[in-house]
Amino acid sequence: MSGPAVAVTGLGLVTAAGVGVQDTWKRVCEGRSTASRDPSLKGMPVDISCSVPAYDTNELLGRRSALKYDRFVQLALIAAIEAVADSGLDPDSWDGARVGVVLGCGMGGLGSYDEQHRRMSESGPENVSPMLIPLMIPNMAAGHVGMRFGARGPNFVTATACASGATAIGAALDLLRRGECDVVITGGTEAGIVPLVVTGFARMGALSTRRLDDPASASRPFDADRDGFVIGEGAGILVLERAEHARARGARVRAHLAGYGASADAHHATAPDPEGRGVALAVTAALADAGVAAGEVDHVNAHGTSTPLNDAAEAASIRRLLGDRPVVTSTKGVVGHTLGAAGAIEAALTVLAIQERTVPPTANLTERDAGVEIDIVRDQPRTHHSRVAMSNSFGFGGQNAVLVFTEGA
Amino acid sequence: MSSTYDQLVTILTERFEVSQDEITPDTTFEDLEMDSLFMVELLLVVQNEMGVKIGEDAATTGDTVARAAELIDAATAAASSS
Repeated sequence: MSGPAVAVTGLGLVTAAGVGVQDTWKRVCEGRSTASRDPSLKGMPVDISCSVPAYDTNELLGRRSALKYDRFVQLALIAAIEAVADSGLDPDSWDGARVGVVLGCGMGGLGSYDEQHRRMSESGPENVSPMLIPLMIPNMAAGHVGMRFGARGPNFVTATACASGATAIGAALDLLRRGECDVVITGGTEAGIVPLVVTGFARMGALSTRRLDDPASASRPFDADRDGFVIGEGAGILVLERAEHARARGARVRAHLAGYGASADAHHATAPDPEGRGVALAVTAALADAGVAAGEVDHVNAHGTSTPLNDAAEAASIRRLLGDRPVVTSTKGVVGHTLGAAGAIEAALTVLAIQERTVPPTANLTERDAGVEIDIVRDQPRTHHSRVAMSNSFGFGGQNAVLVFTEGA
Repeated sequence: MSSTYDQLVTILTERFEVSQDEITPDTTFEDLEMDSLFMVELLLVVQNEMGVKIGEDAATTGDTVARAAELIDAATAAASSS
């Protein structure tokens, strides 16, 4: 049973490829990885990351923002400011009660947690900052975006690990369809490049370790020689509107969000179901929700983490469920795996792929894995008219979220 | 003004992103957009940097910078006479 599509009228991106949509899109289309040696991870078993280039917090967010907002909130705010400006909506005159904020975040302010834990260990509890709790709780990302724009509608954060951003966008779609909001600022954010967190991922064998001396070649989705993901950070924000609300104000519509499907593997904490039953459920639900047939999908922005297990299972699922029609890419080759932000960053890149009629290449794909029988873009961006595009996100815990976008206008 | 006042101004400019020309003795912490959580943080820094024991609620957002300096001096005097 399909529901009405909603309009995507604004985009905002902060990634290792740049602060802003244009810089990110340009670098992603070049297919050049942003991974590099990270001084903040010195001495850790894995010391490479895809980090957001330095920015001036005060200039972008106002005085004392570095003290008020953990990095995951800063990234969300910067991307949200860009997305709201891009939408052409005026927060000074909108009906704030009809504007929701739904963001995905897998971890929250672990950087602040880590710093204050160290303070307590070294100098005692009386030295712990009173800011700790408002800095670290994950819902603050949506809370602060709401405060910034006077958005007083439903406001919350979803946590489905690496699918969080896509889950949030799906929840935003529901709010708009139910008529609870006219506008939802949605997406995801994460600032997980914290020594303890990165080491945790390293200890479980999820990260690439073979190319620490050549970081730019480490994230290589679907490549035969891939050995794990490279951790990244960032935020992706979409401004979604009820289609008639966007039409009534003559908004430029970048694309439509037509469908969302979610499921659980119910299989294992961190490994995907090799039979892909959960993924099949989410893909099928998203297509039905969008009123689109499996054979109509032109483009897939894959979850494509560059881990051996994910990419093999995902490629098999795409082939089995969608055939050989879709042109596939994994943008994690360039921006790394941004955890709770990934689904949202990739949703924004999927919208751009539709709008620009261009599918970016998958970085570092030199030899396609033997079992991967799908059409993956490599080396150069491919000019491609995508009327229907899908963005996949799969999280630890076996949580799957799939979004279907269609052309705007 | 006292040296305590000067030290407080230094802490505000170096740690709390206040520009020097915004601060006068009569400026309140509210004027500097500092809420109650920032006050607790400020007094924490004062304790560590000036080596003075002062309650977390000794100064409020409505106090002026000069008044906060007086409270710090009073706390220092009380500690040395006890």
